[in-house]
Amino acid sequence: MGLGILCLLLTFFLDSQPLHVRFWTNFLQNTVFFTGIAFITLFIYAAFITSWAGWYTQFKRVMEAMTMFLVPGLVLLLVVIAGLWLGWHELYHWASAEEVAKDQVLLGKSGFLNKGWYTLGTLVIVGIWIFFAMRLRSLSLAEDQNGGVDFAHHRKMRIFAAAFLPVAGFSSAAIIWQWTMSIDAHWYSTLYAWYTGASWFIAANATLILLLIYLKSKGYYQGVNEEHLQDLGKYLFAISIFWTYLWFSQYMLIWYANIGEETTYFQTRMHDYPVLFYGNLVMNFILPFFILMRNDTKRKYGTLVFVCVLVILGHWVDFFQMIKPGALDTAIHAAGAHGGETISGAGGHGDHGAFHMGFTIPGLLDLGAMLGFAALFIFVVFSRLEKVALEPTNDPYMAESVHHHV
Amino acid sequence: MSAVVSPIREPLIEGGKSYHQISEDLCSPTERTPSLAWVAAFMVAVTFLALYVFCVTWTIWQGIGTWNLNRTIGWGWDITNFVWWIGIGHAGTLISAILLLFRQRWRTGVNRAAEAMTIFAVMCAGQFPLIHMGRLWLGFFIFPYPNTRGPLWVNFNSPLLWDVFAISTYFTVSLLFWYSGLVPDLATIRDRSKGMRRKIYSFFAFGWTGRAKHWQRFESLALVLAGLSTPLVLSVHTIVSFDFATSVIPGWHTTIFPPYFVAGAVFSGFAMVQTLMVMTRKVLKLEQYITLNHIDSMNKIILVTGTIVGVAYLTELFIAWYSGYIYEQFAFYNRVMGPYFWSYIGMMGCNVISPQLFWSKKIRRSLFWTFFMSIFVNIGMWFERFVIIATTLARDYLPSSWSYYVPTWVEIGLFLGTLGLFFTLFLIFVRVAPVVAVAEVKQILKVAGDQYAGKHSHQPSAHSETHH
Repeated sequence: MGLGILCLLLTFFLDSQPLHVRFWTNFLQNTVFFTGIAFITLFIYAAFITSWAGWYTQFKRVMEAMTMFLVPGLVLLLVVIAGLWLGWHELYHWASAEEVAKDQVLLGKSGFLNKGWYTLGTLVIVGIWIFFAMRLRSLSLAEDQNGGVDFAHHRKMRIFAAAFLPVAGFSSAAIIWQWTMSIDAHWYSTLYAWYTGASWFIAANATLILLLIYLKSKGYYQGVNEEHLQDLGKYLFAISIFWTYLWFSQYMLIWYANIGEETTYFQTRMHDYPVLFYGNLVMNFILPFFILMRNDTKRKYGTLVFVCVLVILGHWVDFFQMIKPGALDTAIHAAGAHGGETISGAGGHGDHGAFHMGFTIPGLLDLGAMLGFAALFIFVVFSRLEKVALEPTNDPYMAESVHHHV
Repeated sequence: MSAVVSPIREPLIEGGKSYHQISEDLCSPTERTPSLAWVAAFMVAVTFLALYVFCVTWTIWQGIGTWNLNRTIGWGWDITNFVWWIGIGHAGTLISAILLLFRQRWRTGVNRAAEAMTIFAVMCAGQFPLIHMGRLWLGFFIFPYPNTRGPLWVNFNSPLLWDVFAISTYFTVSLLFWYSGLVPDLATIRDRSKGMRRKIYSFFAFGWTGRAKHWQRFESLALVLAGLSTPLVLSVHTIVSFDFATSVIPGWHTTIFPPYFVAGAVFSGFAMVQTLMVMTRKVLKLEQYITLNHIDSMNKIILVTGTIVGVAYLTELFIAWYSGYIYEQFAFYNRVMGPYFWSYIGMMGCNVISPQLFWSKKIRRSLFWTFFMSIFVNIGMWFERFVIIATTLARDYLPSSWSYYVPTWVEIGLFLGTLGLFFTLFLIFVRVAPVVAVAEVKQILKVAGDQYAGKHSHQPSAHSETHH
């Protein structure tokens, strides 16, 4: 975590550019990435409860602990929001009143893309997520203490879990548009929210596997064996394909229709950010697809750890490529408009194909920032986890989970 | 398969059945003389089938001019019906393949009928592109092969051609899946029968004897086919959505179409399964196999997919405004407030709002409501396709060519006729093969809720030693 803070600070101070674009984009990217992991874990947990799944019960405490990152996530988002109001950063093109005034398209969107909605949306939506995360976790913990044969706690959890699913469906879309899609403020795609959700899903899934394998190596969760890991690995495999399906649907339809307003998004990424664009596909589809296709790779710790690290990085890169190009453009624009020094970068003219550390490819500072956030995430998860019994005692599905056999 | 079952789960089969009773209950409908209800239903279905044959003949004889298609409405009820039927054809493969991979044991009660329904629905869907060709006898032109016509190749860039590939693949795999699952059950019927009937079933049972080797091959085939059909469930409706989304027509060109069409397809498919199962379990007295628990689970899937579709509708609506693109904004304004506003209301009401009733467990477990709602959803999903197709085409870029499309009697007859085709096939199916997969139900008998301690619990039968 120290390393992360150090890297972030270094980015902040070493960054020669005005407005600290690299610092703020890294900050936003990691905040959204890890908060999203916590959110989607809650979503997966709620879906498991609703669908009467039993096999995951042994390690549900880990999932509950992961959802607890929503609280620090909200704090980090508040920093972004504070920056939005106080003009610390130029992440969002729509945030500048003078830009909006002379831009017909942004003017049309200003009913949604404005500081008020951004703040309110984030507070209310993440607040609701936190409420559900807390409720589910406390019910689950209470079940350990005084759960009876009528399974009242479990039945109550089902209600909360089921209610959360539609809430999550609607709210995540609305907030993803604000957090990341609005960075490319002119561009839009109806699939964007689901695509981002799938990206979070894989990252959360891989994080869960890594945490479990680590905890196992420390002697905990001996009942969680390769049967459970294989099932988690299957999810990783399936959702990676699903993510690719969404990626392809979005890309292919935009490519086929060839409408300038839409193609610009991919045009920029393919030509100015080729490492991210193609790396994204290699890391998140080709490699996990071929590695996880075999039955045994999902049952071996070595390959599974490798794939998990790979796809976590892969989806982190996915968010990197969602955020950086648009934010850089905005910053260049803002710097130009203020008459200040120009920002060199891939978005500028004349240097196609040139690499720009921290934008067209992640540099060490960006990876360091990521490690810092990851460390914070792990710290939060473990500090939540150490306060509770690792394995639930009165869950009606516990026996099924212990005897799980594929 | 884990042998330990949580006490909170309800049994999948009620009534403490023995193996013999299962064979008896599930095979006997094919051995009895048909009931009066079946005969009456069959007569109605065949009448509609006759109407279909008549309307097809009329269309082919007189030409496509007998439909109300015109500029700018090049697609009307024909493709609406096509997409509707294709969508319905999704539940079967979802139940048999995806729920198999997810090890959802409750699928065994309904998978057979759902797969059959899939095949019949895809057959109905396939009719429409063929009739729409007008010159049906040139239908083979859709296949890409070296020919003497120029050589004139198909347009590989066209999603309509991808449809041909996707749907024929889907049909083939679904048929294989369904039939290979049927083989052990056909053998059971064969072993119970005599004379000519025995010869016929013997032929169709492929010499199945139930040897360990047969079962081993059977299981690996099921797994391979499940693996193959899982991407197919996604791909078919994805490509159907491409028919619209690859265009540059506002209201059609939107990136959410592929997954949203798939969710809608599963939604409508399950609704049709419910419509059929509620009737079938009653007529064939299968209440202990297709339990209220099954109905409940399927209603939950309807609720989930209905809500996903709802998220997609609102996303589309919102992004249309957000896009700042006036044509996109108009397309959606026109959908909601234009001359076809009633179909938009029908779509929203039947697909998003009314399924929310299923939040109530009482309603989910009520046969009346289930049946009623399943019809509602079927109607709503038909409206969805009509909204997408007709409202968009009736108001294109040139206000001078705006018009209002209403179908002719031929188009209506064709739609009702495919319902006749569908129900005729389904009614024949329930007469010749077990509607519930006998062998698969027997497999889950021992692990399906002997431990259950709730209010629907039963005394375990003689065979219920725990199975490891």
